[in-house]
Amino acid sequence: MSENCCYLQVGQDVPDFKLDTFEPTKGDFGEISLEALKAKKKWTILFFYPAAFTFV
Amino acid sequence: MGAEVITVSTDTKFVQLAWQREEKMLENVKYPMGADPTGKLARMFGVYDEETGLALRGTFIISPEGKLLNSEVNFYNMGRNIDELMRKFKANIHLAKHTAEGCPSKWKEEGDKTLAPSAKMVGKVYEAYEGK
Repeated sequence: MSENCCYLQVGQDVPDFKLDTFEPTKGDFGEISLEALKAKKKWTILFFYPAAFTFV
Repeated sequence: MGAEVITVSTDTKFVQLAWQREEKMLENVKYPMGADPTGKLARMFGVYDEETGLALRGTFIISPEGKLLNSEVNFYNMGRNIDELMRKFKANIHLAKHTAEGCPSKWKEEGDKTLAPSAKMVGKVYEAYEGK
């Protein structure tokens, strides 16, 4: 395990990030970035899960 | 519900496409599925398991200004309660508009009792909460 020195804590600003996505509503790939969500004044909820093909 | 919900795993977007198409339970999923194959984002949030290369069940709420407001992490074997996630989300919306207030543990939705911390309330939270 790496040291827990550098994880984000509640109250901190989240650095910008980008993710490749699969968008079920479009049936297509896409991209999402925190920067774009902030520009749209959107709240963001990140929901991490261990692996596809397992129970959620 | 007014938020962008992004599900994230360390799978690639190709696997996520395959899974969403194959699994009947995911037929109605409409959230973007984020791919974090290097674990970079999972590491940023402290949910990357170096032993397995998988992400723990972490849920994070980020404000429109980009501030991390809530964090919840469960081990692999425990699911999350969506009602509690919604409660936190609604409370954040309320608190963003009413910055001097606090949402106590029993706060569930708009209209429920909030508390405004003050010197007067120290040691008198019960009375303030019960309106006595």
